[in-house]
Amino acid sequence: MRRDVFQAIADPTRREIINLVSRESLNLNTVTGNFKISRPAISKHIKILTECGLIIIKQKGRERYCEANLQSLGQVSQWIEQYRTLWTGKLNALENFLNKKEKSLTKPTSGKAGKKINKKPNKK
Amino acid sequence: MKQEPFVIERIYNAPIEKVWKAITDKDQMKEWYFNISAFKPEVGFEFQFEAGDKNKTYLHLCKITDVIEEKKLRYSWRYDGVPGNSFVTFELFSEGESTRLKLTHEGLETFISDNPDFAKESFSKGWNHIIGKSLKEFVEKDPG
Repeated sequence: MRRDVFQAIADPTRREIINLVSRESLNLNTVTGNFKISRPAISKHIKILTECGLIIIKQKGRERYCEANLQSLGQVSQWIEQYRTLWTGKLNALENFLNKKEKSLTKPTSGKAGKKINKKPNKK
Repeated sequence: MKQEPFVIERIYNAPIEKVWKAITDKDQMKEWYFNISAFKPEVGFEFQFEAGDKNKTYLHLCKITDVIEEKKLRYSWRYDGVPGNSFVTFELFSEGESTRLKLTHEGLETFISDNPDFAKESFSKGWNHIIGKSLKEFVEKDPG
């Protein structure tokens, strides 16, 4: 099974655990206490998160603490960001292209009623 | 477990057949998309193009998987010599005289997992931003 940041955040309970421990390190009991699901289930999610490298377990005295290690989350946002930039750019270019085309096509037919009808059909 | 895809939507002040032509006619595609030597909106048709940023370009390899005339176009999107595969879908919806375009790019995470080039890159964004904004947007985005 893959163990990377994408696997880590694919589950809603794991996302919630990340949110909890991103504010402060918490011991395992406190983390478990925040959820209605069973302790073994939470343990399993925490195990996956440690295997994915997003959480580090630290022994402090008799307690075990979950500490967030969120550097790898940067991979997600940075990666997605590249594609957001790509597609935003391309779809803007498509808009310019369609507008340009519209103008060059409507120019010769003078006197025709403007096509600038902004009325949209009622949605919903 | 599947990763949620990247989705972007736009409304164009143009009829659906014009938008369809713009995304499927290679001469028109060249004007706004990529310079592709041959393109046919037919399932199984393969095309490729070189693209990237100023640092590096990749040969993009694509194969059409779905065509519904004036409604939907879907093709695979991968990079020559890079593990992973993704899919780009253009969906068109007529809204009066306008056309809504929904672009979905799924499978982006398949490139990330085994790409040493990518893993070496440095990530400098603040965690607050990532947790508070990017991740939030990322995980809350409902692909519907």
